[in-house]
Amino acid sequence: METTFRKRTSKATVKVVPRPETLNKELMLGGIIQGLAVTMRHFFQNVAREKPEVTINYPEERLKYPLRNRGLHRLMHREDDSVRCVACMCCPTACPAHCITIVAEETGNGNEKRPAIFEIDELRCIVCGLCVEACPCDAIRMDTGEHMHVVDRRDDAILGKVDLMKRGISSTAVQGGEPNWQERVKTVPDPRFR
Amino acid sequence: MAETPNPAPAQSTVTLKIDGQSVTVPKGTNVLEAARSLGVSISFFCYHPGLSSPAVCRQCLVEVKGQPKPVPSCYTPCADNMDVLTQSEKALTVRQQMLEFTLVNHPVDCPICDKAGECTLQKLYVEWDSAHARMDYEKVHKPKKVDLGPTIVLDAERCILCTRCIRVCDEVAHDHQLEMSYRGDRETISVAPGKQLDNPYSLNTVDVCPVGALTAKDFRFQMRAWELMTTSSVCAGCATGCNDEIHHARGEIYRLVPRENQDVNKFWMCDDGRMTYHEIRQNRVAGARVQGETVPLDKALSFAADRIVALRGSSGSSGLLGVVANAQATNEDNYLLLKVASALGVDRVYLAGRPARPDCADDILRHADMNPNTAGARAIAQALMPGKAKGVPQLAADLEGGALKALWILGDHVDLDEEAQAALARLEVCIYQTPHQNFLSDKVNVLLPAAAWAEVDGTFTNAKGLVQRIRRAVEPPGEARPHRELIQLLGRKLGIALDYPNVRMLFKEMKQAVPEFAAAEYGRELPVVQLRFAGSRG
Amino acid sequence: MGIVLLFLIPVVVFSIVSVVLVGVLGAALPALAAYPDFTWVMDPWFQALIKMTLLILVVVMPLASILTWMERKQSAKMQDRGGPNRAAILGARAWGIPHFIADAVKMIMKEDFIPAKANKILFSLAPVMAIVPVFVTFAIVPFGGDVCTHQLTQVVANPALCTDKVTLQVARLDVGLLFYFAIASLAVYGTTLAGWASYNKWSLLGGLRASSQMMSYEVTMGLAILGAFLVYGTLEPHAIVLAQGPLPWHWGIVYQPLGAILFFTAAIAETKRTPFDTPEGESEVVGYFVEYSGMRFGMFFLAEFIEVVFLSAIMATVFFGGYEFPFLFPDGFHLLGHSLPLPHVAVLLIQTAGWGLKVIFFCWFQLLIRWTLPRIRPDQLMDLGWKKLLPVSLANVVVTAVVVLALMAR
Repeated sequence: METTFRKRTSKATVKVVPRPETLNKELMLGGIIQGLAVTMRHFFQNVAREKPEVTINYPEERLKYPLRNRGLHRLMHREDDSVRCVACMCCPTACPAHCITIVAEETGNGNEKRPAIFEIDELRCIVCGLCVEACPCDAIRMDTGEHMHVVDRRDDAILGKVDLMKRGISSTAVQGGEPNWQERVKTVPDPRFR
Repeated sequence: MAETPNPAPAQSTVTLKIDGQSVTVPKGTNVLEAARSLGVSISFFCYHPGLSSPAVCRQCLVEVKGQPKPVPSCYTPCADNMDVLTQSEKALTVRQQMLEFTLVNHPVDCPICDKAGECTLQKLYVEWDSAHARMDYEKVHKPKKVDLGPTIVLDAERCILCTRCIRVCDEVAHDHQLEMSYRGDRETISVAPGKQLDNPYSLNTVDVCPVGALTAKDFRFQMRAWELMTTSSVCAGCATGCNDEIHHARGEIYRLVPRENQDVNKFWMCDDGRMTYHEIRQNRVAGARVQGETVPLDKALSFAADRIVALRGSSGSSGLLGVVANAQATNEDNYLLLKVASALGVDRVYLAGRPARPDCADDILRHADMNPNTAGARAIAQALMPGKAKGVPQLAADLEGGALKALWILGDHVDLDEEAQAALARLEVCIYQTPHQNFLSDKVNVLLPAAAWAEVDGTFTNAKGLVQRIRRAVEPPGEARPHRELIQLLGRKLGIALDYPNVRMLFKEMKQAVPEFAAAEYGRELPVVQLRFAGSRG
Repeated sequence: MGIVLLFLIPVVVFSIVSVVLVGVLGAALPALAAYPDFTWVMDPWFQALIKMTLLILVVVMPLASILTWMERKQSAKMQDRGGPNRAAILGARAWGIPHFIADAVKMIMKEDFIPAKANKILFSLAPVMAIVPVFVTFAIVPFGGDVCTHQLTQVVANPALCTDKVTLQVARLDVGLLFYFAIASLAVYGTTLAGWASYNKWSLLGGLRASSQMMSYEVTMGLAILGAFLVYGTLEPHAIVLAQGPLPWHWGIVYQPLGAILFFTAAIAETKRTPFDTPEGESEVVGYFVEYSGMRFGMFFLAEFIEVVFLSAIMATVFFGGYEFPFLFPDGFHLLGHSLPLPHVAVLLIQTAGWGLKVIFFCWFQLLIRWTLPRIRPDQLMDLGWKKLLPVSLANVVVTAVVVLALMAR
């Protein structure tokens, strides 16, 4: 039996990129001097400026947050300081992070329903604001302007009803709109409704 | 009734045109049903296919050519050559106006209302109207949170006075407990004088209510409807086997609601059956126990198998072993147990279950036999071990007489008296696979955790002999597993080759072995549906 | 404001430093020696001890520690950042300078950890081996001219003629820079031992990289400075400084520009700092002192900065006229025919302060390089050292030798 060995050939080709072998490239001196010039320029500029333009020394200087900044949640109050929330569960339904836990209970008065437990796990919260969008009662808001607090234990990041209501203020929003809603609707036509 | 069961040919059908499409229906069918059979949807509140049609809500108005005024389709019987327009501008306008009229005094407190998400009014508003209210003045206030009876709360403001609940009491429970009072915009639903809403079918009023006026105390504020998942199953409360939907969310069952089956329960279900879901998570056995100590499942199975093998060596092939089939367990579980028993040469077979309660029975739906699968268990025992199956009294007698040394009990209900229980405790080995702890669980020396009925797939055979599917809705707790898996594991340890990776294979084999199941089909798997995508159930 | 401070502060600081150095060594101690009981203060051994102590306490250690802050602050300024600015003493933040104290306290307070399987003796010895040689090498650096102790207030034309002079240099060795090479080679033991004694394969590899790098670049360093020796005809640093004189166009950088660049490059590689920091490579590869913590790590850290200071001092001495101030002759300024006679002590003070300013300029320049150039690969490092720097430095030596020979023959 005859065996022939064939030289292995590959069809793959390697494209060789020529690199210019100039003296300047070899010595790298030009690049080094250029680089030093750039850093030196920045150094002297910044020394003359005393304070870099972009840095904000946080605790002393603060950025002004935009009006629609989303901070920690808060639960709004009724006029009698009870919670506005009626435990409709729209916010946990809308929440993409599943960070809201509500257990409903019956109230003795005309409000009929309120949350017995209202907990937000601020570590899970992705600060998307969908809960606020979903709320039909102006009960939950994120306009506190507060940051998440530093916590030692994960449980501490779960804010309960008391914590959330502590930040709340009274809201007198009327479900279905203010009495003069018709004029406003005329001036600002809502594209969702005919 | 919607459809007459056996329409006689020729003169008993009519042919009419709905939206230009020709349709032939039995005589007496109303226009609404005829339209539905064509797939044309007409909105309605007061009509219910299982109840009479009073045509009070006027939400199903359609235009009939030749008639000057729109007619309520639910109340208009089909006639030959009728030309019905359901989507004409006139019909749509009147329906939309009726909807706005219905909404005039509705409080629109959907955030609070439990019906939100499965509410017909809400759905129709979103589909048809979606406009701001034109009412600028105060709505009529009516009593809220009216206690109608032990199970139901009424919110009269939300009520749209469709009278479905009144008709359910009258026509299903045959007990006139609700009626209308006052007139005009003060009109409300109230209980009849000297009565309260306490009939055994009262919760059907909640199901039929198209809005959130009637709410079940049991379900009130527990969970929002749109969060619920539905699994189609069969009620395990009695031998009727009402078809139901298990509504569950995140591994917890929140309620059982009836599912339409014209052969069994039509549209209804009794209150007792609806409450059976509470038992599922109570007193559960989550881990195996051998002589009172919690051990891993495998260890408990080995212990039981070793004891049985030892007994069979010492006292003959049957080993004085008895098996107890149970009418609470599915057909598949019972079949597998008896199959293992006959492979072991066991000739003592008993049939247990909950005791009958004739006081709970009526001729509507409720059955005296409180077990969902008595007929099935009997049929299987008859097919596999003809003439050998005995009742519980015989079991008690055998126990006390010392005819048994080992016992293998399926299911949780075995009605034994004190003496028989004491005799049970003296057995060499007593395997008891059960979902729930009860008086027997401390007496036996091998306790195996089993899954409850809402946690398994399988079939029940109801009193009429219908084989019906039940489906797994939630996961069993801890180490609990379906009966059939426990039997398989123990059977393998006893040297019997069993390999049923799923219930369908078991059912196929059972179908050939048991003549009663010859015509039965296992059915297809249904996806678990989230209620928020299922539309309204009102 | 910032620019003014940038120049003003070093000038003020080094004026004070020079007053302390010259005052103690040139005035206080000779004055003390006038009393019969204290003649021993002029003993050469005691003089060497007191000079070394003063040099290390007043110049080297403060400069090395302040460099830790300077490095962070300067890099921040180069990168448009703020840099350290939080630490404060009694509410005075002083551009974050107190950070070097905070760093030192942190280093000392941190857990001193020795890995279980490490060789404890060598592990403890390694940081000392790294830091001691760099201190010792300062012995040859002249930080000022000779002090004629009895003529401080007079104008002295030639201090070499004084009989009672005190040298501002710890040890005036004839072997001079050879002593520096000898001692600096010992530092390689510190890094190699640290890598080996840690019982960690990555630190061992880091130590190997460090030793190979240091040994390779020592060759270039020696050859690069050889040209300067040929020009000055001496190895003794003080003589080199005197040979250069106060006129900038006679300084080593003019005669040996290539040698200066080569020496500077090789010496940076010796300090193991970016772009030649493959031995430690804090951000990517694990270095030889990865197992070190607390003050042991601090000693490696400090040794690196002292090396920076020393390299600056050598650069100043050999190539930039050492303590010589431009146009400042021993008897005062002479420029374009004008002259400003100055008393001896004023000349000395200006010279010492000028030396300090040169040193800190080169420190600043090294930091500038460290935060500008990216790290090079080990293979590129070896390539640069053996295939580029070494031939070029050899050529430099040959050309210099030929030129010097031709000039001498003429």
